[in-house]
Amino acid sequence: MAMSRDEILRQVQTVLVDALGVDTDEVTADATLMTDLGAESIDFLDIVFRLEKTFGIKIAREELFPAENLISNSELVSNGKLTAKGLAELKTRMPHTDLAAFEGNPDINRLGDLFTVNAIVRFVENKLSKSG
Amino acid sequence: MRFILVDRILSLHAGREIKTVKNVSMAEEYLADHFPAFPVLPGVLLLEGLIESASWLVRETEHFAHSMILLTQAQNVKYRSFVRPGRQVQYTVQAKSIEDSVSSFFGFGESEGERIVEGKFGLRHFNLADQNPRMADVDAGITESMKQRCKLLKNFEPKTEN
Repeated sequence: MAMSRDEILRQVQTVLVDALGVDTDEVTADATLMTDLGAESIDFLDIVFRLEKTFGIKIAREELFPAENLISNSELVSNGKLTAKGLAELKTRMPHTDLAAFEGNPDINRLGDLFTVNAIVRFVENKLSKSG
Repeated sequence: MRFILVDRILSLHAGREIKTVKNVSMAEEYLADHFPAFPVLPGVLLLEGLIESASWLVRETEHFAHSMILLTQAQNVKYRSFVRPGRQVQYTVQAKSIEDSVSSFFGFGESEGERIVEGKFGLRHFNLADQNPRMADVDAGITESMKQRCKLLKNFEPKTEN
């Protein structure tokens, strides 16, 4: 039985409220995890674990937040920005994110802006539809 | 390595505001894992820099009355960008209130003109002897080391006392 997007959003909100200690009304669909909700590295691990438990899915390391692998590769990053190859790689690895605004200035310091609540909802949707 | 996340106190106005600096170095051990090919100061350690800065403001304001100063809460902490080795974070922490045993602050960190971190947080201050009178010596030892470290952080000049 497919879960509706609204139901997924509601449960993702609960995960983020529990992991980050923020109020539910702060967890809007467009909120960014790092800048709006104050998430940092340790929190990402916690969030992945809670999503796995909440939705009964398995999330491989680097699957939800693959940024670290991308940034390590010198073919994909040049002078602090993603190259065309890097952007293509990002699109493949993170289809759940909205790259429109990022493409204009693919500064790796701004990668954090891609991790919105919406991106997590879409990621979970994709995972759930694959596992049937 | 020692757990010190502030390298220098630039200015201090008792009861009101402190400005400090942390230089990020390749030699910091946690950078090896965070991340192997993209070393950046972890967010929690940016927050620690804000907390340590606020703690120095409390210590000076209350004339080192309490040995222990600990975080009670942090709210609306936002991480806006990363700080890499070779850069410096400048912290500015403003006191909202400093009372005898609690204090609250708003603080932010900037590097190369960019806001890196900001947040609101509260501290509590106490002596170990408050709960256990036999710990008074430990309090005295901690207080003395904090006074010495404070002098080093202020680049204490023997001729002109701050």
